[in-house]
Amino acid sequence: MIRLRDVVKSYRQGDREVVACAVDALEIGAGEQVALIGRSGTGKTTLLHILAGILKPDRGEVEVVGQRVDELSEGARDCHRGRHIGMVYQTFNLLQPFTAVENVLLGALFGKGAGGGAKLRAVDLLERVGLADRMHHRPSELSVGQVQRVAICRALINDPELVLMDEPLGNQDKTTGNQVLDLLLQIASDDNKTVVMVTHDPESAARMQRTVDLATLRADLEPTGAGGEA
Amino acid sequence: MRLASISLRNLRIRAVASGLTALAIVVATGLYAAILMMAEQTEERYKGSVGGFGAVVGPKDASQLEIVLNTIFNIGDAPGLIKLSACRDIRANRVGGRRTPVHYAIPQARGDSVSSYNFPVVATIDEMFSKFKRGGSTLPFAEGRAFEFSWDDLIELGKGLAAWETDRRTGEDTGAERPLLNDKIRECVIGHRVKQKLGLGLGDVVTPVHGKAGEPGAHDHPEAACKIVGILAPTNSPLDSTIFLPLGTHLLIDGHEGGVFLVDVPAGKNPDSVKNDPVNVWQIGLTAVLVDPKDHFGAQFLRTSFQRRPDAQVSWPATIVPAFLRDIGNVAEALMIVAWLVLFGAGLSISAVIYNTMNERRREIAIMRSLGARRTQIFAIIVLEAGLLSFLGSLLGVIVCHFAALGLGELVEDRTGVYLEWLQFGLWELWLVLGVTGIGAIAGLLPAVKGSLTQVGDSLAQSY
Repeated sequence: MIRLRDVVKSYRQGDREVVACAVDALEIGAGEQVALIGRSGTGKTTLLHILAGILKPDRGEVEVVGQRVDELSEGARDCHRGRHIGMVYQTFNLLQPFTAVENVLLGALFGKGAGGGAKLRAVDLLERVGLADRMHHRPSELSVGQVQRVAICRALINDPELVLMDEPLGNQDKTTGNQVLDLLLQIASDDNKTVVMVTHDPESAARMQRTVDLATLRADLEPTGAGGEA
Repeated sequence: MRLASISLRNLRIRAVASGLTALAIVVATGLYAAILMMAEQTEERYKGSVGGFGAVVGPKDASQLEIVLNTIFNIGDAPGLIKLSACRDIRANRVGGRRTPVHYAIPQARGDSVSSYNFPVVATIDEMFSKFKRGGSTLPFAEGRAFEFSWDDLIELGKGLAAWETDRRTGEDTGAERPLLNDKIRECVIGHRVKQKLGLGLGDVVTPVHGKAGEPGAHDHPEAACKIVGILAPTNSPLDSTIFLPLGTHLLIDGHEGGVFLVDVPAGKNPDSVKNDPVNVWQIGLTAVLVDPKDHFGAQFLRTSFQRRPDAQVSWPATIVPAFLRDIGNVAEALMIVAWLVLFGAGLSISAVIYNTMNERRREIAIMRSLGARRTQIFAIIVLEAGLLSFLGSLLGVIVCHFAALGLGELVEDRTGVYLEWLQFGLWELWLVLGVTGIGAIAGLLPAVKGSLTQVGDSLAQSY
């Protein structure tokens, strides 16, 4: 499902070149649920963006859902992301002017298409996460937990093989966060989806099948000691 | 869910900015449409109205344009009077000793009006309905008939009136009596719009007003109240707004006595010196004579003969009107330049308004990109947004223009003689809306480029 080899992404900061993310090797199998941990600045979000094709590594091989995304053009990476990858963010990133169901459909519009059965699927997903009576509410009219569930539905609308989550529980209380995570992992498990979640929370990380400390993927960094293996 | 619905939603979020920008487009498009509508309908009406008016004979001291505008298009006051003798000479197919064959020469006198709409009253003879032809046929009647007042009736009545006037002027007493208004000549024919606007029908009575209602000196002529005996079918010309009554009625209206006869004042003499001179029927004053020359030579002879004649001149609507329309066209073109400038300003405004929102929309764009939106899709959303704004603004502009034509139609008709048909749509309006939409879309290119270049990673990182 995911295979990285010798990946480096760096930024220029004035005269200095700062390595934001470096991965010697990483493999994640289909249907695996993996937590990505690491200290701030180790490049967790950057790695997630590389996997999503939002960022292109300076060098290295990145294979995601059978596709060498590092070799794709920007447009092709966008297409690949829209069709095969669902993303959930810490800040949920729903668009405020749109209702819950419209936000979910936005994912379809830029993915496999919002025509045909997309609306039925969006409604079905929202019903599965318990938002049947909140479909036509805007994000500002929903609770944090409800907003996150809408974000999960949006990530799943294209039936992606891979779901990437960036600190998805950071903005919620523990109970709500756990409920949402349970729900997502259940859906992912039912549909055999691969899940990669960036988190700082050891408890959440422990609920995944595997934990990967980003520091262990780089020879030049010390492990955080939070456990896990590459 | 479509890209366009995202664009539409974006416009709704920024309703005030979108509304103000759209307003600029409404004004520009409305102005442009109004100018085109006026120009088009003016040209159409003017060209369509000159049919039948082969030549118009009017006073020498007026301009040919004044004569044509007043006689055919009911614009302005009558520019002066000519003697009935001019009409007699034309009807005799002989002007200035040359043969000038005509189909008809119909005398007209005007100066009165009806109602606050100031529908002009045209006093004439029955040949206006039996001989005058538009597009090869006489004026069609929707209801009723023409009034009965012939050229011979005019001469007979005029002779009696002249005899009475001569007695009055000279102080002699030949026993001549002033002819009286009677029900036979207190009949009139009204145009289609007069019927519509005033809700009149056959058998109703209209009372002429001296001058124009509401103006100083205007007063009713109840003695000349005429029964409607005929209503013309629509002609889509100023004839629709006209009330025709017998010339005899006009001559016998109280207060018209002094101005009915034209008496030449010899050069260097005081007008009072001729006030006691006798008058005859051929001195009856007319505002115009409608003439239809039989052939090209007749027209030429008419032209040259009237050039030598001191009291009247002949105007040729077929020449005057196109020249007039060219002048109107020049003014319209100048106004259109103004409209283009306003439109250009509106385009810049669209560009600026959308461009200025790009910074605050970076996160929103980044979210869409993270969902798989391509740069081209972001580009399309923003261009669509500008195009939609322009489309809605221009559509509203055209609609506003038509409603303005409805509301201001009477004012425009009063000033120009052109009745604006507010429900008349032209293909050019479709092109105008599409053109403005295109301009708007072009105005959206710059912000669209900026939006599509938004860096996803940076912009998403900002939201953490």
